[in-house]
Amino acid sequence: MLKKRIDIAMAIIIFSAALLLTRLWYLQIYRGDEYAKLAERNRIRIQTIAAPRGNILDRNGQPIITNRPHFNVVWNREDSPNPDEVIKDLARILNEDISVLLDRIRAASENPRYMLTRLKEDIEWETMAAIENKKLSLPGVSIEVIPSRDYLFGDFASHLIGYLGEISPSELEEIRYSTYASGDQVGKQGVEKIFEEYLKGEKGRNFLEVDVHGFQQRQIQRQEPYPGNDLHLTLDIELQRAAEEAMAGKAGAVVAMEVDTGNLLVMASTPHLPLQEFSGGRILTSVWNRLLTDPLNPLLNKTIQGQYPPGSTFKIVTALAAISEGVITPDTTFFCSGGLHFGNRRYGCWKRGGHGTVNFQRALTESCDVYFYSVGQRLGVDNIAKYANSLGLGKKTGIELEHEKGGLIPSKAWKQKRLKQKWQDGETLSVAIGQGYVSTTPLQLCRMTAAVVNGGTLYRPRMVNRITAPDGKTLKTFAPVSEGKILGSANSFARIRDALVGVVNSAAGTAKVVAIPEVLIGGKTGTAQVVRLAQVAGMSEKEIPYKYRDHAWFTSFAPAEKPEIAVTVLVEHGQHGGSAAGPVARAVFKKYFELKGVIKPDPEATPPAAVPEEKEE
Amino acid sequence: MLRFDRRLLLNIDWVLIVAVLVVAFIGMVNLYSSTHLYTNVGVPLYLKELTYYLIGAAIILLFISVDYRVLLTLNYPLYIAMILLLLFALVFGKTIGGAQRWINLGFFRLQPSEPAKLILVITLASYYYRKDTGKGFGLLDLAIPALLTGLPFLLIAKQPDLGTGLLLVFVFASMTMFIKLRRSTLATLLCGGLSSIPIAWKFFLKPYQRQRVETFLNPENDPLGTGYHIIQSKIAVGSGLIFGKGYTQGTQGQLDFLPERHTDFAFSVWAEEWGFFGSFILLICYFFMILWGLNIAISARDKFGVLLAFGVVSLIFWQAFINLAMVMGLLPVVGVPMPLISFGGSSLITNLAGLGLLMNIRMRRYMGTS
Repeated sequence: MLKKRIDIAMAIIIFSAALLLTRLWYLQIYRGDEYAKLAERNRIRIQTIAAPRGNILDRNGQPIITNRPHFNVVWNREDSPNPDEVIKDLARILNEDISVLLDRIRAASENPRYMLTRLKEDIEWETMAAIENKKLSLPGVSIEVIPSRDYLFGDFASHLIGYLGEISPSELEEIRYSTYASGDQVGKQGVEKIFEEYLKGEKGRNFLEVDVHGFQQRQIQRQEPYPGNDLHLTLDIELQRAAEEAMAGKAGAVVAMEVDTGNLLVMASTPHLPLQEFSGGRILTSVWNRLLTDPLNPLLNKTIQGQYPPGSTFKIVTALAAISEGVITPDTTFFCSGGLHFGNRRYGCWKRGGHGTVNFQRALTESCDVYFYSVGQRLGVDNIAKYANSLGLGKKTGIELEHEKGGLIPSKAWKQKRLKQKWQDGETLSVAIGQGYVSTTPLQLCRMTAAVVNGGTLYRPRMVNRITAPDGKTLKTFAPVSEGKILGSANSFARIRDALVGVVNSAAGTAKVVAIPEVLIGGKTGTAQVVRLAQVAGMSEKEIPYKYRDHAWFTSFAPAEKPEIAVTVLVEHGQHGGSAAGPVARAVFKKYFELKGVIKPDPEATPPAAVPEEKEE
Repeated sequence: MLRFDRRLLLNIDWVLIVAVLVVAFIGMVNLYSSTHLYTNVGVPLYLKELTYYLIGAAIILLFISVDYRVLLTLNYPLYIAMILLLLFALVFGKTIGGAQRWINLGFFRLQPSEPAKLILVITLASYYYRKDTGKGFGLLDLAIPALLTGLPFLLIAKQPDLGTGLLLVFVFASMTMFIKLRRSTLATLLCGGLSSIPIAWKFFLKPYQRQRVETFLNPENDPLGTGYHIIQSKIAVGSGLIFGKGYTQGTQGQLDFLPERHTDFAFSVWAEEWGFFGSFILLICYFFMILWGLNIAISARDKFGVLLAFGVVSLIFWQAFINLAMVMGLLPVVGVPMPLISFGGSSLITNLAGLGLLMNIRMRRYMGTS
């Protein structure tokens, strides 16, 4: 009887043991791999390490933008037994108000305990040294080193280069940013954005063993980040600097292009962007608001987004159309009495007294409006538009930069379609001298100038030569892209070029101020009306409010014998093409030929004083 | 007691002693692994546990030197002392983790519910031994042992420590099933017991206890709350695979993912670091020890020895089974330690005392009843 019960008990115990062993087998062997994975996931935290972004260099390999270590002060409250004291000390060392630090800490209070709180970004070397020295009395405080942009030339070429910022929630949803995580830096503008995929590099990963609270125990494995690729621009930073320095205090744009390749040597828009303000990845709201409301509109890249009436620079187009279409010969003359009656209106020449009898050469050199009114009448607006379009005006140039504007070249069809109105013949006169509906960007005019003087090939503007890997291997090269021949005969190109040389070099030229003895420069001035003349009639130049003043243009090339470089300058509200925009172009030419060794560097290097000059209208 | 019989020495149960030593050795080795990273604990826990072993050994020596039948006269004083201690713990006890379980003795924090387990075994064995008429127990005869069990059960469940409380019920049930019951009584008990479960669920369990059971049934519902223990323990055990992660190399245990890793979840640490292989060895040794206890029961010289040995065996078995089933995710988390493997002075000394009783019974198996 007793034996039987003991046997039952024994059976129950053995059965229980078997049950437990079966369960063990099930957990450890049958589903063991699954649990092993879960255990790994528990203990390993993957920390990403930011990759140094690729460098941006100019055409000569001169770095423009590199990276530098950026030191942030971070704090781990778990390691601070006495947080109040630590923060107080730290505030003193950082020379920061304690409330600023406390606000940061409060903002991070919801984060997991192991996460570090960033207290201050981008501290100075000296501050970092002070913190390192006092490390023992600052438990929990440490320095985080992350690579950030170092702008070796300050804000030069700021619009072209663009800036970085923290990736936004909407960007995170885009496919192109699928490998990014919130908090990552990403190019927001300019080449930083366009070539993001090449510049960004590969993030490194740190596999850390963590305990249940997330505290780091040890490093298991580390994959070093792989730096981004280097971007070799076509830009020449020395020229860019010369251009921007010449533009100091002016709003406007400078574009310089190699005429035979479309390579951009200068892309300057002023005022420049304060790149340093963006370098920490976030810009202060106050700075941003100041940029937004600045009347000089620094956020606009005026080289490709500024659309201005080309004024007299457009006479190049009218001239080309006229000679090529045969409506005039280079010897055709018109009489300028200072104005032209057409319909019931008088169209004035900028020179009130008139130019007298002018031929083609003089008409361009002295920018006679009446001559081009007459030529325009013979051509008709659609012929002008045909040539303008062939020169790449009225449409985007195809440069890789974002948000490019196309400008506008009016035609009869355009007016009918857009404004549902019939074209008035009088309007053709305005178009012939680059006023009225016509608008262009500085980049378009530069490219047009290059095409006219290079024998008629229109190139797509380029700003990147090649991309190289960190080991120096070339990943991608960008060849010049020809968009084909422009309309116009070789003869007409030569005639126009000669006339434009006269603009700079003849006694009556409108841009004599630009001339450099060693190099023959050709160019065309232009003045773009901002308001109708009537509104500012009777005012002296200085009385006209800034925003009503005319824009000043100068588009040019050199050396005239065999043009290499085209330079186009726009000074917003600069009033005089020759005196406001001319010297800027001159500075660029001077630098260009200095670098080539054609001109000896000017020891004084003072820009020539503006010479009083007759005003173009 | 007055004259120590030299024959007793010849009958010392070396098999049980070796089995206990093997299991205890594994427990100590494992305890070192699970606690060597603990800081701020003063004396390392494995040294503390070693001290408890020495105390336990002394108690075993004391126990085996006295014929176990002396318990027949001591059982009620012991029972009363137990009830008083439990009451004391409930009124003045130290609260740890929401439960009043501890009496602080200064040098030692006594958990009276631990000795209560063994004292209940002694009490029930004594009662059944005295009342056994050979005709089988009727329902009314069970009223007194039920009351004797019910009182400490209530006091312990009130702490609240439902796990230990239920353990008392399991031990009571086991011992009652072991004695001769009338058929009708058995049937009534089974029906009554089953029908009481839903009533207990509804009225007796505290919400957190109900939640534990619910969590057990579906731990993934609440992975960060009460399901966390079960999930982490299963990960620890499962990730041990065949040969384990290596001694002191378990990630779940060493990195704190496993809660209570030196007490309730000590076996998980062992399973993680030694794998199926090590766990198999431990379970075989352990269950050999338990089965050997049954052998002691069957060979006891009198009915009291049989009942007492069976009671001790059922006590150790149920603790181990509930604990193992819990850490492997077969039962809800109820906080029952695994004898000799989980850290804890009260538990260790109580279980060693129980094993001492087994040795006592074994040694005296050939002695005549006085």
